[in-house]
Amino acid sequence: MTFERDARTALADGQLRGALRQATTLFGERRRAALATAPDWEGARDRARAIKDETLEHLDRYLEQFTANAERAGARVHWARDAAEACDIIGGIAERRGARSVVKSKSMVSEEIHLNAALARRGIEPVETDLGEYIVQLAGETPSHIVVPAIHKTKAQIAALFADKLGIAPSDDVATLTAAARDALRRRFAEADLGISGVNFAVAETGTILILENEGNARLTTSLPRTHVALMGIEKVIPRFPDLDVFLQLLPRSGTGQVLTAYQSLITGTKHRPEDEGPEELHIVVLDNGRSRMLASRVTRQALACIRCGACLNACPVYRQIGGHAYGSVYPGPIGAVLSPQLFGLARSAALPYASSLCGACRDVCPVKIDIPALLLHLRAQVVERGAGTHRVLERLAFRTYAAVMTRPRLFGWVVGFARRLRIMPPLSAWTKWRDLRPLAPRSFREQWRAGLRDEGDPDA
Amino acid sequence: MRSGDARREILHAIRTNLRSSPPVQSSPSPEGRGGQGVRTPEGRGGQAVRITQFTEQLTAVGARCTTVRGEADAAAALARILTEAGARRVVGSDAPLVQRLLQSVGNGLVLATDRLERLSRDELFACDAGVTTAQWGIAETGTLVLESARERSRLLSLVPPIHVALLSTRCICDSLGDALARVSTSSHAITFITGPSRTSDIELTLVVGVHGPQTVHVLLMEES
Repeated sequence: MTFERDARTALADGQLRGALRQATTLFGERRRAALATAPDWEGARDRARAIKDETLEHLDRYLEQFTANAERAGARVHWARDAAEACDIIGGIAERRGARSVVKSKSMVSEEIHLNAALARRGIEPVETDLGEYIVQLAGETPSHIVVPAIHKTKAQIAALFADKLGIAPSDDVATLTAAARDALRRRFAEADLGISGVNFAVAETGTILILENEGNARLTTSLPRTHVALMGIEKVIPRFPDLDVFLQLLPRSGTGQVLTAYQSLITGTKHRPEDEGPEELHIVVLDNGRSRMLASRVTRQALACIRCGACLNACPVYRQIGGHAYGSVYPGPIGAVLSPQLFGLARSAALPYASSLCGACRDVCPVKIDIPALLLHLRAQVVERGAGTHRVLERLAFRTYAAVMTRPRLFGWVVGFARRLRIMPPLSAWTKWRDLRPLAPRSFREQWRAGLRDEGDPDA
Repeated sequence: MRSGDARREILHAIRTNLRSSPPVQSSPSPEGRGGQGVRTPEGRGGQAVRITQFTEQLTAVGARCTTVRGEADAAAALARILTEAGARRVVGSDAPLVQRLLQSVGNGLVLATDRLERLSRDELFACDAGVTTAQWGIAETGTLVLESARERSRLLSLVPPIHVALLSTRCICDSLGDALARVSTSSHAITFITGPSRTSDIELTLVVGVHGPQTVHVLLMEES
């Protein structure tokens, strides 16, 4: 099983676990401090969730409204049923516009559809411009955290990588490394003729897309090239412009513990006059890729309310130990454990709903109150329902035997006594593989109870 | 066309799936509760309070602020800021106020103020400082709001390492919500700026000025 193997590898990596502990603890602390600056955090969470629920309930209507308003403002909206269709659309735009140099700002959805690989097959090599994503791309790896993609790499590793790929003198000074990346990426920005970005929120009422960031690379990506392609899942739409208020209160505080990130770009269509700044063309690609299926049930629909803050990753005792790569998906952590099986198929991610202790920390920190443990249980039930074969037969047999023993006190006493004398334990390897089992006590509780009765006399007699 | 098929199919899938689950009853009305919850209760204390809060927040997010009164004062402050920063190549937006101030600053360090639209990408990348106005400020967060319909400030506030923004004290809003209510949605680009460009992507160490400006300097013009 891939998840178990990868989780084991991650657990053996002391450097990774140290970095994860530091990052997730710091983000947790910053988040708590930032919450204190919001006068009514719970009210904001309720309102955001209500807005998301309302949107999803009428998602068809809001998507059509968004499309009409975005196109009225000069954007072109494309619809993609799946990853291949989205990649085709974007590849087609790049070819039609004669784009040779493509810059990208961070987009989870582009990772989801493996856009870079699809564009590479057309001879286009998009450059990731978010510093963390750039590091990960140079190293030929994948992001391990939603907010801090290169959290798994030390500055020494990054220094070696930059010395190798960018030809700079080795340095472990973070400011020097950042400056080297800035210089290298400035050259790419200077020649870029197509920019690809994600979308944090899409406003139906105005056709506006909003992108949050701290570095400024998304602003460069969406301002400099003559063509801008924005990629969004169907769930990104919200009804009204003033609704942005509550989401802008929640997302930065939950994600990085900032009251507000350095930049929010609100883009409504294209420039009005030739002398205005900004791209000539804006293409918005609206992607389904399994999302509409999730609307079919109240439980699964919740996952579409996610605003990708990453707070549940930082709070999760499992993620904090194993990091993002072990989840084997672009979406790691608790939200990934519920999104990946639904988007990419239960068969491919059957282990993920079990990658949780169901402690509920994810639900407590979620800014839109997604009941992730309930979703995990729902998916576990599906795994069991769909899973067949020996595993299931053995499990049934085990539970039947357990029930038979537990409901017969004499049989129970005999079995336990027998097991104790022979010092054998039931076959619990699936349990003990990840957990320590306490050694058996010299005398069982039942024996002690009986002995106590003898010493102190029988109170009931 | 294929895209039309995709649109029809996706909308059909959404409607079909929505129909297969009962509508929500328990969810509170989005128009109702919690709406006021995100307001700062003490944020309504008038202009003086707003200005104080705004300048405090600017400092907290790593921006600088100089309060000036009148254009002569503003021009002197701008000259001082640019000289101290060693900015030689400076470019201003097409806002009349910016043009007037840069003309009076003059003395050899200003380049290309009257031909922003003809500035090549390479020339823009070589600039040391960009001077723009900001249409709004947000007291609660120390944020500047720039609207494309009012001024060509999108690249000048982003590409040069120093961004100097002129803001009237009359245009400071209480909160993010207030600013969202006031911006003109006819702008094809509205940019919210809170402090300098920043990253913590390498070992969570904060570095400012990664892709955007390292220095954001607000010239706050007092008006009664």
